[in-house]
Amino acid sequence: MASITDCVSEGLKYPFNDVKKLLVLGAIFALLNLATPVSLRFTHVPANSIYVMAALGIVSFIITLFVMGYQYDVVKFSIDKREDLPGFTDIMNIFVKGIKILIVAVAYNVIPAIVLIIGAFLAGDYTGPAVVVILISAILFIIAFFLQIMAVNNMVANDSLGKAFDFRQIIDMISNLGWGKYIGIVLFTFIVLIIVNVAVGYILSFISLFIAIAANNAMIVSVLVGIIQGLFITSYTSLFYNRVCGSIYREAIK
Amino acid sequence: MILDIYKDALEYSAKDWKTLVILGVVALFSFLLLPAFIITGYNYRVINNAVHGIINGRDPLPEFDDIIDMFIDGVKVVIVQIAYLVVPVIIFIIFAVIAGNLTGVASSAVMIIGCLITLVVGVVACLMSQMGLCHMAYNDGAFTKAFDFKEIKEVIDEIGWFECILTYVGLIIITAVIAIVVTTLIGLVFTVFGISGAALGANPGGIFVLGAFINWLITMFIVGPYLSIFNARSIGLLYTMQI
Repeated sequence: MASITDCVSEGLKYPFNDVKKLLVLGAIFALLNLATPVSLRFTHVPANSIYVMAALGIVSFIITLFVMGYQYDVVKFSIDKREDLPGFTDIMNIFVKGIKILIVAVAYNVIPAIVLIIGAFLAGDYTGPAVVVILISAILFIIAFFLQIMAVNNMVANDSLGKAFDFRQIIDMISNLGWGKYIGIVLFTFIVLIIVNVAVGYILSFISLFIAIAANNAMIVSVLVGIIQGLFITSYTSLFYNRVCGSIYREAIK
Repeated sequence: MILDIYKDALEYSAKDWKTLVILGVVALFSFLLLPAFIITGYNYRVINNAVHGIINGRDPLPEFDDIIDMFIDGVKVVIVQIAYLVVPVIIFIIFAVIAGNLTGVASSAVMIIGCLITLVVGVVACLMSQMGLCHMAYNDGAFTKAFDFKEIKEVIDEIGWFECILTYVGLIIITAVIAIVVTTLIGLVFTVFGISGAALGANPGGIFVLGAFINWLITMFIVGPYLSIFNARSIGLLYTMQI
C-alpha cells in the first residue's frame, strides 16, 4: 500500500508527464481568469454595464463547466492508473461530465448553504444563536467537502451519477481506507497546495511589481498576472489536486 | 560515543563541496519559500541515510535529485516540527495570560515559573521532535510514527536522556564555535590586509567591505550548508545509538 507521501508526490509529478496538455489547460484557465467578471470589474469593464457583466458571467460559467469536465477525466485517468493526461478532443462529452460534477457539487453543498443563509438571517436579530448556526454550517461544509471527494471518485469510477449519492458505499470506502488516513491525506494535500499557492503568490507579486514599473497601467498588470497565473499555476494545482483525489480512491478499493 | 558521532558527522559533511554549494544556492533563493522546503527535505534525506546506517565514515552524501520528493519530505518535516513546537508556545501563552490577570509579586512569580516550565517543555519538545523525525525516517516516512510518543520515549530512554541532551548541547556549541571561528578568521585576515593596505597608502574601506562580502559568501555557501548537514547527520546517528 502506497503511503500518503507517495500519493502526493506522484500527484505533484503527474502534470509534467505531458507539458503540452498542461499548457493547453493553462490557456483555458487563463481565459477563465480573464472572463471572470470579478477580476476585471475594477479594471476595464465599466461597473454599470450589466450586459457585458452578464455575457462575461455566461462565458466564465461555460469555461468552468469545461474545466470541471476535464477534471472528471483527470480523476478517471488517475483511478485507471494511467500516466498520460486526458485529451481535449471530445468537447461535448467533457461538457456532459462537467455538468455531472456540477450537480454533485451543488447537491452536496446545498444543505450547509441553506444553514448558512438561515444563520445570516438570524444574525440581524439574535446574535447568539446566529453564531452557533453559522458554526454548524461551517462544520457541515467541511463534512460535505470530505464526502464530496469520495462521492466524485465513486461516480467517476462507476461512471454513473447515482453512485455519487450512494452514501453507504462511500462511507464504506472511506472506512476501508481508514478515516484517519483519509483526512490526513486530504489535509496534507491541502497544506502542500497552500504552500505552493503562497509561494507562487509571493513570486507573482514580484512579477506584477515589475510589470507595474514597466507598463504603469492597472489593466495590463491584472491581465498579465491573470494569464500567468492561469497558464502555469492554476492548471498545475488543479491537475495535482484531482490526481491525488483519484489516487485516494485507488488506495481505498485495495 | 558522542565524540564518535561528532567526528563522523564532521567528516561526512565535508565530503562533497559541490553539494554544499548547491545547497547554498538553494538557500540563497529560499526567500521564495519553496526552496526553503527543499533544504529541509535534503536534511531529512541526510537523517534518513544516517538512521539506516551506522557510524562507518563511508556513507556518501544523498543525491540532490528528485526535487519534488525532496519538497514533500521538507513539508513533512516542517509540519512535524511545528506540531511539536506549538506545545511550549501554548504553555507559555497560558502562563502569560494568567500572569497578566494577576498583580504584584504573584504576577512575577507566575511568570518566572511559567518561563521555567516553558524552557523544560521546550527542550523536551525539541528533542522529541528531532527523535520523532528520525523515527519517522526509520519507519519509511510514515507520518503517524513521528507522533508515536510511546515509541519515541522508549527510543530516548534507551539512548539515555542525559546523553541526548548532552549531544544536543554539544551540537549547539560546535555549531556556534565553527561559525564564530570562521567569521573571525576571515575578518582577521582582512583586517590585516586593510591595515597593511592603509600603511601602504591605500584606502582600507574598500578592503573591509570586500572582507564582509566574502565573509557573507562563505557563510552562505559553505559554512551554513555544512553546519546544517552536520546537525542532521549527528541527530540521525544519535538515533542509531539505541541498544
